[in-house]
Amino acid sequence: MHELSLVSSVVGSLEELAMGKGWKRITKVTLKIGKMRQVIPEVMVFSFSVASRGTIMEGSELEILEVPVRSRCLSCGENWEGPTFLCPGCGGSEVETESGMEMDLESVEVEE
Amino acid sequence: MPRRIVIQQSVMAADEKIAARIRKDLSQRGVLMLNLIGSPGAGKTALLESTLTGAPFRSVVLEGDVATSRDAERIARTGTPVVQINTRGGCHLEAHLVDKALEELELDGIDVVFIENVGNLVCPAEFDLGEDHKVAVCSVPEGPDKPLKYPHLFSQADAVLLTKVDLLEHLDFDRDLFWGDVRDLNSRAQMLEVSALRGEGVPEWIAVVERWIRGKRS
Repeated sequence: MHELSLVSSVVGSLEELAMGKGWKRITKVTLKIGKMRQVIPEVMVFSFSVASRGTIMEGSELEILEVPVRSRCLSCGENWEGPTFLCPGCGGSEVETESGMEMDLESVEVEE
Repeated sequence: MPRRIVIQQSVMAADEKIAARIRKDLSQRGVLMLNLIGSPGAGKTALLESTLTGAPFRSVVLEGDVATSRDAERIARTGTPVVQINTRGGCHLEAHLVDKALEELELDGIDVVFIENVGNLVCPAEFDLGEDHKVAVCSVPEGPDKPLKYPHLFSQADAVLLTKVDLLEHLDFDRDLFWGDVRDLNSRAQMLEVSALRGEGVPEWIAVVERWIRGKRS
């Protein structure tokens, strides 16, 4: 449901950047999104096609790089793929999420 | 030929800036802000009503809903200043909406800003509003499987409140499963059982909020 808010924010930031840098067109936008973030890539792509209408990135490709969830145990250092749970190595509960929470505007391709 | 340019900034950079400004401003004032997140009907408003009645701290409330000012009217009856934010279809609150609503409230002499987010276990967990703590609110009738089904919220919350525990005697709710999953996801969260109807657990919840206020000011 919140995909449109996210891509609208991307379009807004890029329009501002483009104005400052003098980009004529943006042909591709790449986002890096962790799998713990609750977004559906297909909905992002559709929402982007709507939100970018009438801007210098209308018709551009939206690429989404998904980042797997990785967790690490703070007690024994074990790391594994999957959300933060008890450590499969030592059973410890002091566990941190190493990756999977990304929600980044990674790069763009522009015509100058 | 198009040229590739690396940007590497948060997708929500603009809103995160506003959230950071809110957090800084409230820190300077020593005001705690809590973001209550739970399903529609989880009992967020009832929890607030029972918290605000007789609480030893001074509060204001921001009420997020898709439509109506019904929740704000309920909060106003407790004598607490409240602003209703209608998202008109939006499934969550964002920092710029909170920023605007805070401008309508007098924060001098206030200890806590309670935000009741739009009823939803998914999207509200994704957006930083400048709060000190997210609080997950889940009720007994929703069933014990919600923490694992919506791990993002439950792993981010600093407190998990199981509400409507007065219904435990009528429903087949596996309490051990619920709290076991919460502990697996997030062993650092405060875990509380409350019944706004009977008042059970409310003093313990108020004590958590008081501890957070003291922690913020020390």
